[in-house]
Amino acid sequence: MKRYDLIIVGAGPSGLSAAIEAAKHGLTVVVFDENHKPGGQLFKQIHKFFGSKEHMAKIRGFNIGEELLKEASAVGVNVKLNATVTGMYGNKEIVVQTENCVEHFKADSIIIATGAAENVVTFDGWTLPGVMGAGAAQTMMNLHGIKPGKRVLMLGSGNVGLVVSFQLLQAGCDVVALVDAAPKIGGYGVHASKIARCGVPFYLSHTILKAEGEKFVTGVVIGEVDDKFNVIKGTEKHFDVDTICLAVGLSPMSQLLKMAGCEMEDNAQKGGQVPIVNEYGETSVEGIFAVGDVSGIEEASSAMIEGRMAGVCAAEYLGYCNKDEMVKRHTKLEDDLESLREGMFAPKNKGKNIELTEEGIPVSKSLLKKGYISEDEVESFPGVTHKKGLHPVIECTQNIPCNPCQDACKFNCIHIGEKLTSLPVVNEKSDCTGCGMCVAACSGQAIFLVNEEYDEENATVTLPYEFLPLPKKLEKGVALDRSGNVVCEAEVVDIRSTKVFDKTNLLTIKVPKNMAMSARFYKNLDTQV
Amino acid sequence: MSENRIAEHPILGIPEKGKKIKFTFDGKEVEGYEGEPVAEALKAAGLMVHRYTKKHHEPRGVFCAIGRCTDCVMVVDGLPNTRTCITPLQEGMTVQTQYGVSTKPE
Repeated sequence: MKRYDLIIVGAGPSGLSAAIEAAKHGLTVVVFDENHKPGGQLFKQIHKFFGSKEHMAKIRGFNIGEELLKEASAVGVNVKLNATVTGMYGNKEIVVQTENCVEHFKADSIIIATGAAENVVTFDGWTLPGVMGAGAAQTMMNLHGIKPGKRVLMLGSGNVGLVVSFQLLQAGCDVVALVDAAPKIGGYGVHASKIARCGVPFYLSHTILKAEGEKFVTGVVIGEVDDKFNVIKGTEKHFDVDTICLAVGLSPMSQLLKMAGCEMEDNAQKGGQVPIVNEYGETSVEGIFAVGDVSGIEEASSAMIEGRMAGVCAAEYLGYCNKDEMVKRHTKLEDDLESLREGMFAPKNKGKNIELTEEGIPVSKSLLKKGYISEDEVESFPGVTHKKGLHPVIECTQNIPCNPCQDACKFNCIHIGEKLTSLPVVNEKSDCTGCGMCVAACSGQAIFLVNEEYDEENATVTLPYEFLPLPKKLEKGVALDRSGNVVCEAEVVDIRSTKVFDKTNLLTIKVPKNMAMSARFYKNLDTQV
Repeated sequence: MSENRIAEHPILGIPEKGKKIKFTFDGKEVEGYEGEPVAEALKAAGLMVHRYTKKHHEPRGVFCAIGRCTDCVMVVDGLPNTRTCITPLQEGMTVQTQYGVSTKPE
């Protein structure tokens, strides 16, 4: 039987990070993955990540994936693909199935990074072709260039539901509604706002009653639910759709850990059955670690840090580095991780009703219910100011650990400070040059450059634009407000696309002066549906 | 190109594909790209139903697209229960609707 220092199961963000960290310390590492490509779900993530520089913020997920693969190959990590780990014993032996054979391997340490699987909900017709996981839709469009459907209804308003809805729009699909049984949007308000201003309606406190169709989905009926989640009669609404996407959470795939005798617990906050781990990610079986979604559902950013932590701990466990060195590295990583676990969406705040921001500003009710902040609410946030000439308007209203906007502005116009979750403050005294770096750097696409007095009658609004076809200079279309309603005519004054903006185009439109704080999206009615 | 394919993506650009090849679905000739999952080529061709269940003869299609749920299985080159979402397409493949576990409607 072949032996390794360290076996890692799963070549996603946490598994690869663990492998890199361990290999850097000199361990012989092998990573097994059942898929024919490494990277887990990272290559389907085409949005810019949140966080700070340490967390690779404002870099798109698939680019982070490329970086990880390069780093892994540079330090000699051996990734074995099409290799499904079907069993694990407590003596750190695993069973691997490849195309035509079953083999056993042994290691002195094992890191389980198997990730999670999508949850489903059942309703009449849920097994019809056309009902699919949101992850499936993501796989189709972002990995294979296939549209999941023409008209899509999304169930689930967590970040997955919101992000995939936006990606469906980017792929050229129509999202007819976003539905959630909860009374409030579960994911980041900025993600919701991106789709709301494109005109996607939100139906909170609604659920799917049935999917219609004989052989495949042709329609869907939703209905409103009361506070006990019972459907209220007479509230049924029908939509013609060919696709229903389910984004109703993830469950850790922790079977291997249970099989090996690791102590487990049912933990709803972590998404289901997870191993009990110590601060180093080590399970109750010495030398077996669990990292990433398998030990509790979180973001890829935190999964990568957890991977690195377990990697260095495995190195120390096997004597490849001393305890002091490990603790030093671990403390640094722990700080990075803790900073990601702050703010309104922190794991510790799951299920809590937060009414005020850290700054004491009332959280926008409209944002939680409809997906966009109302015009009067927006004025109460420190990123929203008014002055003569060009200035940024930052519609970032929830405490999320993220600060690329602060780094983007070289003229100190934007301030977040030490605490990553603080709302960005616009310094009215600083002069905005209109470079647009902050607009492109904002992972939530929540920054606009506004010139309230462009000329006698008009204002300009510069907004992030990630759709095709790109509008052309001087073309005329309409401006949409935060809710996606057409509010006025608009003329394209400028469209900027540079490498540093990383595919976030900066579209500047001219609108009547009184629309400066309303116009937040643009449509050309001739070229777009 | 099929309208179900994304011609150009605002972030990902023009999708990278293998060479254009032909395969058959229930005896009809269909085009796809070498190496892409069979299910994706079928989706591009507009196919929704991959199989009918054994007992109740209910239609099933792609659900997870990553080889976990096994809802999209079909008879590929004579082999039933092939997960089409993770099986790379090859020139001349024979893909058939699966009824229960066979290629014949019951």
